Amino acid sequence: MTGLVGRGVERVDGRAKVTGAARYAADNEVSGVLHGALVSSTVARGEITELDPSAALASPGVVAVYTHQNLPRLTVPPDFPYPKSFVPLQDARIHHNGQPVAYVVAETLEQAQEAATLVRVRYRAERPTAHLVDALDEAFLPDEFRGRPNEHVRGDAAATLDQAEVRIEREYTSPTQHHNPIEPHTTTAVWNGNSLVLHESAQGVVLARKIVADAFAAFDPRPDVRVVSRYLGGGFGAKGPTWPHTLLTAAVARQARRPVRLVLTRAQMFTMTGHRAEYRRSLRLGATRTGRLTAVVDTSTAQLSRTEHSIFNSSDSTLHLYACPNVHVRQLGVRLDLPTSSYMRSPETTAHFGLETAMDELSYEVGIDPVELRVRNLNPRLPYRGKHLLECYRLAGRAFGWARRDPRPGSMCEGEEHVGWGMATELHTYNANASTAELVVGMDGRATLRTASQDIGTGTYTVVTQVVADGLGLPLDHVTTLLGDTAFPAASISAGSSTIPSVIGPVSQAARGARDAVVAIAVADPRSPLHGVPAGDVVTEHGYLFARGDRDRRDTYRAVLSRHGRPVELTGSTRNTPGHTFGAVFVEVRVRRRLGSVRVSRVVAAYDPGRVLNHRTARGQVIGGVAWGIGFALMEHTVVDPNTARVVNPNLSTYLVPVCADVPPVEAIFVDRPDPSSNALDARGFGETPGTGVPAAIGNAIFHATGRRLRDVPFTQDRLL
Amino acid sequence: MRNFGYTVARNPADAVRFAAGTPNSTFVAGGTDLLNLMRDGAEAHDHLVDVNRLGLDGIALDGAALRIGALARMRQVAEHREVRREFPVLSQALLASASPQVRNMAAIGGNLLQRTRCGYFRDPGSPCNKRVPGSGCPAIDGYNRGHAILGGSDHCIATHPSDLAVALTALDATVHLLGPDGTRAIPITELHLLPGATPHRETARRRGELITRVDVPRTGAAARSRYLKLRDRATFEFAVVSVAAALRLDGRTVRDVRLAFGGVGTRPWRDSRVEAALRGRSLTHPAIEAAGRVLVRDAEPREGNVFKVELVQRALASVLAELGGLR
Ligand SMILES: Cc1cc2nc3c(=O)[nH]c(=O)nc-3n(C[C@H](O)[C@H](O)[C@H](O)COP(=O)(O)OP(=O)(O)OC[C@H]3O[C@@H](n4cnc5c(N)ncnc54)[C@H](O)[C@@H]3O)c2cc1C
Ligand code: SF4
Repeated sequence: MTGLVGRGVERVDGRAKVTGAARYAADNEVSGVLHGALVSSTVARGEITELDPSAALASPGVVAVYTHQNLPRLTVPPDFPYPKSFVPLQDARIHHNGQPVAYVVAETLEQAQEAATLVRVRYRAERPTAHLVDALDEAFLPDEFRGRPNEHVRGDAAATLDQAEVRIEREYTSPTQHHNPIEPHTTTAVWNGNSLVLHESAQGVVLARKIVADAFAAFDPRPDVRVVSRYLGGGFGAKGPTWPHTLLTAAVARQARRPVRLVLTRAQMFTMTGHRAEYRRSLRLGATRTGRLTAVVDTSTAQLSRTEHSIFNSSDSTLHLYACPNVHVRQLGVRLDLPTSSYMRSPETTAHFGLETAMDELSYEVGIDPVELRVRNLNPRLPYRGKHLLECYRLAGRAFGWARRDPRPGSMCEGEEHVGWGMATELHTYNANASTAELVVGMDGRATLRTASQDIGTGTYTVVTQVVADGLGLPLDHVTTLLGDTAFPAASISAGSSTIPSVIGPVSQAARGARDAVVAIAVADPRSPLHGVPAGDVVTEHGYLFARGDRDRRDTYRAVLSRHGRPVELTGSTRNTPGHTFGAVFVEVRVRRRLGSVRVSRVVAAYDPGRVLNHRTARGQVIGGVAWGIGFALMEHTVVDPNTARVVNPNLSTYLVPVCADVPPVEAIFVDRPDPSSNALDARGFGETPGTGVPAAIGNAIFHATGRRLRDVPFTQDRLL
Repeated sequence: MRNFGYTVARNPADAVRFAAGTPNSTFVAGGTDLLNLMRDGAEAHDHLVDVNRLGLDGIALDGAALRIGALARMRQVAEHREVRREFPVLSQALLASASPQVRNMAAIGGNLLQRTRCGYFRDPGSPCNKRVPGSGCPAIDGYNRGHAILGGSDHCIATHPSDLAVALTALDATVHLLGPDGTRAIPITELHLLPGATPHRETARRRGELITRVDVPRTGAAARSRYLKLRDRATFEFAVVSVAAALRLDGRTVRDVRLAFGGVGTRPWRDSRVEAALRGRSLTHPAIEAAGRVLVRDAEPREGNVFKVELVQRALASVLAELGGLR
């Protein structure tokens, strides 16, 4: 251990990224590659009655046009991570607006795109239903999804609620939202005989390989699939599942007998991949006058599609966050003529927006400070991992100056602006999945770590490199980390904040194992100055092996291994358990009195992620998460036309996400105490924790500023007139 | 986007002659709107005539007017010292537009002729009377938060998106054109047309006419002017509602006032009745409120944009209170 772990080491891949040396999936040069362009449906529901590719086929450079009439039948892979539940271009049915109906391949991208506009399609269209309000009476309790039921009952919430001293009964809504990573989804499929290599923008290469192999299950022989995704220009959950365009590209390349590349357009990213579903949440809290929760009834309604019923934004937090003996959670759904939704950064946010706003409403109802109210209701049964939540409230509250807050709405004014302070708890449930890492320390004294994990922009390359260098006692630049390739040992998908908890255990196990192996070789080698030193008395630092107490007796990794004549190889595979990470966020807003416009002017947040492995990348997650929370609260909104169920704003000029000027300086505080129950060097999953409470904290601050309680995001200024 | 030809014109007359003689051609300046429209499939042209090298990018102030070459960049005008001093509303409107990158590329003529941001218009998968005459207007019964409450018709309710045009409208600018039949000048208030039954006809510009210059008269009011832009995020976004105001007071009495509005009209909106309600009166909150009511008297809001009726009045009140030093 050389103290590298924890330090805010700069990104080891930073230089490659800013110089363009980093090759993203669509950057790879593939000789003879054809370019694909998708034609998408302009109706949301119905059937293709006529499809005429002749003009497209006659267009310059076009090699083929694939449709449901000529593409071989694929197998629909199981629901996760293939949530789509059907494969397009297999029959004439249309399930949503923007569904692919034809796949054009041409010699150049421009030729493919132009030809795609020439494919003539006629439909028999039926009237779609586009919004929850239009079909609320059709809400139902869906079957469980991924083994998780949609109803949870503890105690008798309904009866307790009836007798509660204080009751809060409210509705909260949030619209459809899209991930919009800056790098569009892309696939390049290269067949060589029966082997398929996919250069894919994927958050999980191993799962993507499985899905593609499943789709070709009926082919004889079944193809041998490799998925490569070295760098990702953002994922946010969008690239966690595998979407139809990947399967179609693989199928089309096989038919065309040429490599094929497809890059979705920004507009296609709004219909051909996932989104955060539209939500309505009815929350009923019962409490005593002293602010103790006695009952919670949480009934949410999510948009589903006609073809599946997956609930991706669970209401788990309602069950776990606060101590309450009587809880009834129901996660209902309504089928609409829209694409399948999926996970999107911090799925808890929808639940938290309701719960943490309702808690603020309760705090005013019972006249108890919002922080104090939460402390009174802290769940004592939270596993070890919740212990430092109190510390988060304290640290962030103190740094924010919460003690000076006058709770009366409208009590703070500066010139034309109302100033408001609000807070919320942050909570995220992270995953941990089986992972393996393989470490080779070469005769040159350099180490290479391989694992089929991914860096989705969050810093995996950097943190893994730190852990390896630290475990071995090598300088950072003597360690190379290779990720994102199914040719490497299998590892977890990078989603649900699972990368660190899944991968760091195996990586550090391999690093320590390799270190011990090299030390053993050295002390057994009569040619080594360390010959005969007890292994336990050898220290490794900066590429050297020292005898503790006599630092003149030293050797180097390079010398030990070159004498040894072969590299040392170690594989690590440990299994971690999922858990929760907590935090607290405090927000200041300024609302222009007459115009209603809202500006977030200050954010302070504190977190307990166990041990912080890299303060710089961890802080990056806080800034990013807060920016997401601001977007969720103030602007993000996919507009779906009520009559056609077609997205009206499928571009970054009209789907607004925060710009820098919308995001104030963010103060991030970490409790930074090891969590021995996590075998990832005492670190828990963290990435998606920041942001979960931000929309509620902003709404709570707006209430404090103005006395206006907003329950529907986004809080655009018209809602405050 | 299909293939197109491209010619760089060397002088204004050549540009006009070439465009007039080339079927399905158009001018391109910064290309920041045109190329997006072509990529999105909202426009298609066989030939582009590049007008960036016509020597029309000067900015000059003389005794009578500010003369802005049509190919001056948004940034150049915004940062021009005399523009900032004598016509602050122009500089502010430009700086509140788009992003630094776009402002470096985009020219004044192109800015005035940029097309609506109505989402249906920019999506060839949707009907739209403006893009395909007679195909219908899905915005009227659909999503219309960004749309106009003034000047709309049963055929189209799209707003004109330019901030600069709003400021120029307040300042009574004149647009100079060169066409196959020679030069002419029209007030900016006559450049953009109301949609009526022909929303695809957007401007009074005739086929092949090149905007060469925009003149802004010097007035006492212009120097005391301001642009207020309200939008859904802090920067890099079009107006939900905007107000360009120029005010000259004599004591508390309004000597001269010029007002134009963005985000509310199907064209940069000017209504002389609003100014008449203020001119010669004492600048008070009740007077401003009365003027605001005049502005929205004929408003025809839809489900999604009804809030603009109130918001534009408050924006007007806010900007006039600030210009007039009212508390
Ligand atoms: C992301 C983004 C955000 C934006 N935000 C804003 C905003 O907040 N406020 C705002 O006002 N604008 C905004 N804009 C629009 C921007 O201001 C316009 O795209 C720009 O001003 C157009 O100028 P251009 O020189 O690029 O025109 P081009 O795209 O080259 O041309 C536009 C049109 O004008 C015609 N044309 C150009 N010059 C002449 C001429 N001299 N004579 C005759 N016809 C001509 C072209 O034929 C074309 O039809 C934004 C644009 C983008 C891309
Ligand atoms: S408002 Fe105008 S531009 Fe928009 S869809 Fe209707 S006709 Fe087209």
